Amino acid sequence: MTTTTEALVSEPVPDLDSDSPLAAFPEGPRLVGTRCDVCGVTMIGSRVVCSSCVSREVSALALPTTGELYSFTRLHGRGGDIRPLGYVDLDGVGVRTLTDLRETSPLVPGMRVELGVDGDDWFFAPASGV
Amino acid sequence: MSTDVFVIAAAMIPFGKHRSSSYVGLAVPPLIDAMKGAGIEKSDVDAVYVGHSYGGMMTGQRICKEIGLGTVPTVNVDNACSSGATAIHEATTAIAEGLIDVAVVIGVEKLTQFGGGALPLSPEDREVKQGIIMPAVYAMRATRYLHDFEATSEDLALVSVKARRHGALNPFAQFRTEVTLDEVLNSRAVADPLTLLMCCPTGDGAAVVILVSERARHKLGATSAMRVAASVLHSGHVEEGFRDMTKPEITYDSARDAYAEAGIEPKDLDMIECHDAFSIAELVYYEALGLAEHGHAVDLLRDGRTTFGGDVVVNPSGGLLAKGHPVGASGVAQAAEAFWQLTGEAGARQIENARWALTHVTGGGTAGLDHGACTIHIFEAA
Ligand SMILES: [Zn+2]
Repeated sequence: MTTTTEALVSEPVPDLDSDSPLAAFPEGPRLVGTRCDVCGVTMIGSRVVCSSCVSREVSALALPTTGELYSFTRLHGRGGDIRPLGYVDLDGVGVRTLTDLRETSPLVPGMRVELGVDGDDWFFAPASGV
Repeated sequence: MSTDVFVIAAAMIPFGKHRSSSYVGLAVPPLIDAMKGAGIEKSDVDAVYVGHSYGGMMTGQRICKEIGLGTVPTVNVDNACSSGATAIHEATTAIAEGLIDVAVVIGVEKLTQFGGGALPLSPEDREVKQGIIMPAVYAMRATRYLHDFEATSEDLALVSVKARRHGALNPFAQFRTEVTLDEVLNSRAVADPLTLLMCCPTGDGAAVVILVSERARHKLGATSAMRVAASVLHSGHVEEGFRDMTKPEITYDSARDAYAEAGIEPKDLDMIECHDAFSIAELVYYEALGLAEHGHAVDLLRDGRTTFGGDVVVNPSGGLLAKGHPVGASGVAQAAEAFWQLTGEAGARQIENARWALTHVTGGGTAGLDHGACTIHIFEAA
């Protein structure tokens, strides 16, 4: 049997090499997002395929530094340490991120929050003026 | 379904910390007891379906070889908390399609191997790398629920009080003592607003059910049985942005399909075993399973309409909160509870004249998904 085409060779994605949530952009350290060049959907992290239209034409972008706190909890460690953790809906891009929180004022679902960077650590905290 | 499918036997070990037992040690006794209860021999078995999440390679075969059960297909199923129920779903589908007549379904898990604490999730997941654990997911669901609706921490505690009261009647439950509202509220904080007694315990367990075709039931002369009226399995769908965590669509969608398949409504149910891994879950699932409008679950709870003597008994076994939650075993244990309730073998916790039961497990912490999998079964006394 003869064919005129050969089987396509699928290639693995080196996703373990690029999984840092934060990166340096011209405007400063930002959460990394990915936008689909075809349908315009924005996704969190370094992604290689659009989860909506399955296009592989996607580009990295810096995600917004402000958003709304959807919900939160404080994890209580055995040693008495407390870790506030929450989900933030970033402004205008349709992206939700899990994040550490700093309680510079009492946390309430729906409140405005902004990205903070402290060395290698990043977190969201109530927006200044809240 | 093309052919009716029946559960004709169930067996399980009491859930708990069985540190001296392996996956094999946990599962072989209920396997033998369920086969005996069904009146079947090894030669009657057409296929074996085994739900587990942490058993490792060939868990089903390791169990079955101990009783010399082999040759026939053994399918190992991992779907996190839905593993056992997914195994039932696969067995049901194979029988309904006429491919086989007799299936053994095993759900088994050994969580004491991890030494306690939150369930290990996939280290490849983005949010797991950031430190997400299942208590945090449910805690955030609870924070938002209490923010959006007229519900309080006392309501969350009340779920646990009810679960433990039910569990106290169940010889298969990991916790068999009652607790007070204050004990729940004052137990150690785990993930605000959830306290330790609002979280299901770590434990080991195994449960087995025998599923057969109508033809096989007749041949075996099984008089004690329940019919599988609906068997629904859904997977989570990714959402990159906003998601209402108080309205888990995977359970809403699965419930809609299950009621349609069974041809009944929520008000027809006599009992529900739902995925109350954390107390907030039971409230959210009252709504997702159609017992209450969104935001109004606490009315049912406070009025005692979901306990014995109410409209529908939710988690008569004590649920995951009291009976325990060895992940892969839970879905099969729920079916076992339904079987005993619908065949009048539930002892001190028997619901009188129970005819319709719904079982629901959902789980798997995966970034972007509500839950990874959700399985709902509806059973009718037969
Ligand atoms: Zn796209």
